[in-house]
Amino acid sequence: MAEMWINMGPQHPMTHGLWNLRVKVDGETIVDAEPEVGYLHRGIEKICEGLTYPQIIPITDRLCYGSSLTWSHLYCQSVEDLMGVEVPERAEYIRVMAIEMQRIASHLMWLAAYAGDLGMSVGFTYTMRDREVFVDLLQALTGSRLTYNYPRIGGVAHDLPPNFDRDSIRAVDYMEGRLKEYEDLFEGSKIFMMRNVGIGLLRKEDALNLGVTGPSLRASGVSYDLRKDMPYSVYPEMDFEVATLDDGDCYARYRVRMDEMWESCKIVRQALQKMPKGRWRMVSPRNAPAGTGLGRVEDPRGEAVMYVVGDGSDKPYRLKIRSPIFVTVSAAPKILVGYKLADVVAIMGGLDMCIGENDR
Amino acid sequence: MAERKLPKSTGIVLKPMKRTGKQLLRTLIFGKPNTVLYPEQKLDLPQIYRGKQVLDFKKCIGCGNCVTVCPNDCMWLEKVDDPELGKIERPGVDIGRCLFCGLCAEVCPTVALHMSTAYELANSERGKLRLSPMDIRDDAFGSTFVEERQKRMLPTLDLSKCTGCEKCAGECPEMCIAMMPVDRTDRNKPEINLAKCKSHAKCVAVCPEKALTMTEVYESYFEMPEPKLILDNCSGCGACARKCPSNAIYMLEMPGTEKTLKGGKKGKPKKRAVFVFEKCVGCGRCYQACKFDAIEIPGVEK
Amino acid sequence: MNLFEFCYGILHWLVDLVNNLWYWLGDFLPWYFGDFFTAVGDFAASDGHLTFMTILLESVVIIVVALINVLNFLWIFRKLSGRILDFYGPYYVGYRIGGWLQNLADGMKLFIKEIIVPTKADRLGFLLAPVIFVASSLVILSVIPLSVNFGLSTNESGEYVSAGALFALAAFSIAPFAILLAGWSSNNKYTLIGGMRSAAQMMSYEIPLILCAASVFLLAGSFNFVDIVDAQHDVWFLIPLFIGFVVFLICLIAEVEIIPFDLPEAEAELVEGWTTEYGGMRFGLFYMTTAVRSYAGGALATAFFLGGWQGPSFIPDEIWFLIKAYIVYTVFMWLTWSVPRVRIDQMLGLGWKRLLPLAMLNLLIAAALKSGGWF
Repeated sequence: MAEMWINMGPQHPMTHGLWNLRVKVDGETIVDAEPEVGYLHRGIEKICEGLTYPQIIPITDRLCYGSSLTWSHLYCQSVEDLMGVEVPERAEYIRVMAIEMQRIASHLMWLAAYAGDLGMSVGFTYTMRDREVFVDLLQALTGSRLTYNYPRIGGVAHDLPPNFDRDSIRAVDYMEGRLKEYEDLFEGSKIFMMRNVGIGLLRKEDALNLGVTGPSLRASGVSYDLRKDMPYSVYPEMDFEVATLDDGDCYARYRVRMDEMWESCKIVRQALQKMPKGRWRMVSPRNAPAGTGLGRVEDPRGEAVMYVVGDGSDKPYRLKIRSPIFVTVSAAPKILVGYKLADVVAIMGGLDMCIGENDR
Repeated sequence: MAERKLPKSTGIVLKPMKRTGKQLLRTLIFGKPNTVLYPEQKLDLPQIYRGKQVLDFKKCIGCGNCVTVCPNDCMWLEKVDDPELGKIERPGVDIGRCLFCGLCAEVCPTVALHMSTAYELANSERGKLRLSPMDIRDDAFGSTFVEERQKRMLPTLDLSKCTGCEKCAGECPEMCIAMMPVDRTDRNKPEINLAKCKSHAKCVAVCPEKALTMTEVYESYFEMPEPKLILDNCSGCGACARKCPSNAIYMLEMPGTEKTLKGGKKGKPKKRAVFVFEKCVGCGRCYQACKFDAIEIPGVEK
Repeated sequence: MNLFEFCYGILHWLVDLVNNLWYWLGDFLPWYFGDFFTAVGDFAASDGHLTFMTILLESVVIIVVALINVLNFLWIFRKLSGRILDFYGPYYVGYRIGGWLQNLADGMKLFIKEIIVPTKADRLGFLLAPVIFVASSLVILSVIPLSVNFGLSTNESGEYVSAGALFALAAFSIAPFAILLAGWSSNNKYTLIGGMRSAAQMMSYEIPLILCAASVFLLAGSFNFVDIVDAQHDVWFLIPLFIGFVVFLICLIAEVEIIPFDLPEAEAELVEGWTTEYGGMRFGLFYMTTAVRSYAGGALATAFFLGGWQGPSFIPDEIWFLIKAYIVYTVFMWLTWSVPRVRIDQMLGLGWKRLLPLAMLNLLIAAALKSGGWF
């Protein structure tokens, strides 16, 4: 059969959003691939230049539907760096607990989408059902189900609701039981292992050269996690491990994310234990001084960076967002070539695409 | 690369089938599926859920801070003719554009605006998504709501009654009232340091003119811009005082500025605006109302 | 009384009833018209005509029964998927009977939709493919009896066509042609790949399937369904030919294209595979035919390995047969909703490298059993 280009996207079940992956296939084998992004460009960086600092927080929630809390936390962190605002310790603990819950929810959503890609509806519904537990918790904490708008410059918007500690501990216990079930469901099935082991090999050098970060990098054998390597917030106080594997295939990426969920459960427990009493929010200044602020956090998808330039007024002069997925997607041609057409969904699903933050 | 240990999948597909079989028994025989059958059953929403806005007309002062803070410009102030409250200005919401971020409720200085848990807001006409103040009015909602923002009882000053007797300053145990002279007037104005105030209410008790009253003030996490008067430009027209939603601007006479009229008689003295910053909510309406560039707010352009 | 005699009796009674009226009418007419009336009446009452009409009536009965079963299958498909995946499944339409009417409602909705043919599609092939697919699948049902008495392909004395099982397997394997036609004529890259995959998959899984069936034929000594089922009177072929049963089931899953092997319509990578361009009732036909083929597959597995309609006699034979077919389908569904989809090369590897040797082994076992004289 002659070689032909296939457009997988912008409307395609594989894409999880609006982007286009053009693959050149020879029969079923991929000989070339070319990701095209930008279909979901909303100009968020430009929008932010016209809004005051508190107004930007709900906009940054819209960056990623999977982990909106992480992004607004990142924004607040960078603006606090710019303004020099001290955050109360209780607020830091609440933030860490909330973003770890968000990490679990995000990874569960990834697992759901991944299972759906592999044709495993059961994985989709079970993980989405269990994600609901954490969404409900975050809803009780923040007041919304998807776009939380919870962190504020100088703290968080609300204190913990009553009985939140008890509910979170229960949810984490439930989650740890469920993770065992997922291991049975996914790794217990020979077909899942056939689809994952040795597929989508991303070598360590390639991953480093292409700037891949997050679980995809850690699955390639580089132990690089901003929570450990460049600790922010109260992560130095937490006792957890960075999940790293050497293999760099789809199975390793899956495994790293599963291990991260275990670690996140641990962090949520510790944060609830160590949480001090006190204020959870300080008065935030209206105007930022002229200068720059930088925030770097470990997003569920990789290293996310925000760079804010203030000019003395109540609006940022410039807000630069570094999206981890925008960089990771550039690795697509490197990973895809040589595998089968059906592996495209496994490989690209394994990278955990989120087009909202990618196109901004 | 070391050979890695893969989990054994001895049963090929039996392990997942065991799990799904258990789930089948759970949903078919021993219980029900996890689904919430939406129109019949609904989720329990927490108190702080952000749904449709609800406005308490009596608490609202019409300052328009909610309009200013809205990131999507989906709120506006509308003139309402209320039989009870007279001619007032109250905010309306375009639900179709609303982000449901809750900043409007958070910034409200008198906690008149709340986010209720109503979320079924869809409509077949786009025009009906523009909710006027009357549509979001619910004066009783605040009583059903446990307010999270802390409130304090603080003395507020009615400058028109104040004679500048300095009794309150002497009485305050925290020493947080200072009598400051107002420029070009012969009056002294008590300035209350609200951060230090512990709500002893002794100043209120001692005030002979009842110019000080204790009122509930909710703590705000937003630093609001403070207006600044450029005295030379002020013509004493009083537009700012009429516009101020929280009555924080008073017009005081400046003695010695009387014009000599034709008959040698002296006319009325010129007036100037005086801000009582404890009452200011930072809405910036005085700044917009001033036609003589006498009021400026640092960092804000018109 | 078997189905043929039953239908024949009904028709005979009807023809007699009409003929009485007819001849009575003829008496009022002049002789040349009367003769014509008599000739027509005699033809209607003749044995050849009655037999022909009986066969038509039988087909209608069989197809109606099959379609009711197909509706049940679709209902099981949706309800069981819901319960395994932790949601309700069909619920509101036909609330009292567990949402059973949902499929009828969906069918109605599909009926009133426009049939859209893509501009650059091969119009004839595009419109013909569903017809071939449906017809080739329904014709399988013609030879599968639900019991000794409830079957279509009999002669007047009630004996079944001797190569019925062979015919069923042959009709089962026409479908790849229709799918390839549908995939190619849609003029779309996804459908083309889906069609090619389908052809490769069905051809490679046809061989182990037929080898397993061959071992059954060897033990039963006949291609006739009734003989095959009668041969299982003492022991079901499930027990001596367990390997064959498992291989047969796996091949059936591949043949009816449900999830571990639904590569031709793989939703994630090929959108909907070869049905991408079809809409309205033509898609509905594909959807229904998948259930028809599941039904036929379950019936084949039941007849070959599970003792057909044999069972304690407090339940009618036909119901036994259906119960077994339903159980086979339920197991299919259980498997379907538990596992992901395999890749095409892995799937072909599985077919050629694992299932084919196993099927050969199974055939050897059958041959040994036969030559050993146990069957």
